[in-house]
Amino acid sequence: MKYKNLNNYAFPDKEGRFGEFGGKYVSETLITALEELEKVYAKVKKDKSFQEEVIKDLNDFVGRPSPLYFAERWTKKLGGAKIYLKREDLNHTGAHKINNTVGQVLLAKKMGKKRVIAETGAGQHGVATATVAARHGLECIIFMGEEDIERQALNVYRMKLLGAEVCSVDSGTKTLKDAMNEAMRDWVTNVEDTHYIIGSVAGPHPYPEIVRDFNSIVGKELKIQSKKEFGKYPDIIVACVGGGSNAMGIFHPFIKETKTKLVGVEAGGSGVKSGKHAAPLSDGKVGVLHGMKTYLMQDKNGQILSTHSVSAGLDYPGVGPEHAYLRDIGRVEYQSATDQQALKSFHDLTKTEGIMPALETSHALAYVNKIAPKLSKSKTIVINLSGRGDKDMFTVAKEDGMTL
Amino acid sequence: MTRLEKVFNQNETKNKVLVTYTVAGDPNLGSSKKILKDLIASGADILEIGVPFSDPMSEGPVIQKAHERALKKNIQFKDILNLCKQIRIENKNVPIVLMGYMNSFLSLKNKLAKELNQAGVDGVIVVDLPYDESKSFFNNLKKENIDLIRLISPTTDSKRLKRMLASSSGYLYYVSLKGITGAELKNFNEVKNKVKKIKSLTNLPVVVGFGIKDAPTAKKMASFSDGIVVGTKIIDFIEKKSTPKISNFTKSLKKAIN
Repeated sequence: MKYKNLNNYAFPDKEGRFGEFGGKYVSETLITALEELEKVYAKVKKDKSFQEEVIKDLNDFVGRPSPLYFAERWTKKLGGAKIYLKREDLNHTGAHKINNTVGQVLLAKKMGKKRVIAETGAGQHGVATATVAARHGLECIIFMGEEDIERQALNVYRMKLLGAEVCSVDSGTKTLKDAMNEAMRDWVTNVEDTHYIIGSVAGPHPYPEIVRDFNSIVGKELKIQSKKEFGKYPDIIVACVGGGSNAMGIFHPFIKETKTKLVGVEAGGSGVKSGKHAAPLSDGKVGVLHGMKTYLMQDKNGQILSTHSVSAGLDYPGVGPEHAYLRDIGRVEYQSATDQQALKSFHDLTKTEGIMPALETSHALAYVNKIAPKLSKSKTIVINLSGRGDKDMFTVAKEDGMTL
Repeated sequence: MTRLEKVFNQNETKNKVLVTYTVAGDPNLGSSKKILKDLIASGADILEIGVPFSDPMSEGPVIQKAHERALKKNIQFKDILNLCKQIRIENKNVPIVLMGYMNSFLSLKNKLAKELNQAGVDGVIVVDLPYDESKSFFNNLKKENIDLIRLISPTTDSKRLKRMLASSSGYLYYVSLKGITGAELKNFNEVKNKVKKIKSLTNLPVVVGFGIKDAPTAKKMASFSDGIVVGTKIIDFIEKKSTPKISNFTKSLKKAIN
């Protein structure tokens, strides 16, 4: 299927769907909570004072707008298209995740909830949630897979310092998807006083829409910045895709700007052909998990497969439903980068630009590393530099055979 | 009359219905079959058979582990259908209801209803398929006379309930608490009022499940409903390798509710 006209692109529809994807596949107990969230969100979306409150926090607490930075030395090194970085790594707490939590915590307060919960993989969303919970004095519980707790020890400690309780999840594959299962279990039990701050454009409606909207500040800023910096919109925008929140945030304001090519880069792990990866859009089948219909890594019985990626934040067998739709209509191109390619790009950017990217982000860099040299110098590429790499020191050191 | 209607019709004059839940293939296929046969012999009126799933989001720790044990034995959907067939060959009357998650049922694509029918399955409960998403699924099952059993929860309001009842069949499963399977059941009166409310709006039988772990609780719950569901406690016996105790426990429940 190829899109024809995107001028009327307005998803999700009133059933919470993006084409066939999305929806609300949750237990009956959660339906009321989702309906309430839907209602409150529809209201605040139009509420000027609420939106101003969000913007104020994004400016004064997060430090927005994030700069658009010309990676001059890296551009020269690759010898092709001009490469710019949208510096989400400079946000408070070090990643794009805070854009969403700043908004959702205000939503939680609007609904009178006293307690927030969240799942986290790399720990960035956990830290971003714990941070806003501290800022607003709410009780905060973070669910995190046992395996991720080990590889992201620094972020675990940060969350604890911020006053959050970190719950270790030892069921299933002990990673992000299991943390999400456990968060759902908590939510269904405490649904009356608890708001679940989902960290990606995933989960049941209205989460994919809410998380997208709060993150789309990134793409909105880029529209203004790119015009100012190089007089037009970028030729290509590249972002890594796990659940897909940073990608959706930068893509969404450009969906109707079809002269701009949008590329999402999934975690190729040991290579898509090896089966050891986390790239459902490249090698998955449509199914239902965590409240949404989307592409999933699964076997013929519908069992969710364990994923593999060097980056905990991309280690997820599903993907946000809007990505699934954008893939099917051909508006966004989805590629993948392997662990090794991502690690190489991590080192390249660190040494060439003095910017240490998150391993998740390094997947987007790896794709640009491949295509930039082939493009003319008049072309511009913007990469969403979704997070900084400090949290990944132990993983990178281990991959390089070092002990810290 | 369907097998489910028969069970509940008998009930109008005398017995409350005992529904048991176990996971197919837990601890392995052979034992699973034996446990189901023991359950029937000890008084189970309806067998809910869990379809093991890698991500059982609504289950408490005990049932989660049962799913994991079954998946370790590499249980496939076709094994579960075979298991149902075998039970059906030996027992023509006991209703079999498969309970699981949407992704498992989707894996059979458009063959699902037919396969279920051929295996002697009477109904399906899909934990993560709320009413709003279920229209085509419900209609496909109907073509093969498979009931889609609706879950109703403490948070379901009357307006929504009325809409749901318009496309419900078999029986209704009232989830007694906000939470996961095996959690602690605290407020009897709330459950009682809600079940009464549901019964005032429909002729369909209502069974109560989640959090029923002993005979006294079962008795109370059955006093205002058409039956009860017990799962976690039975699976607890399987986990502790005391399956012989299941039979007496089931008998004690059956006695308590009638």
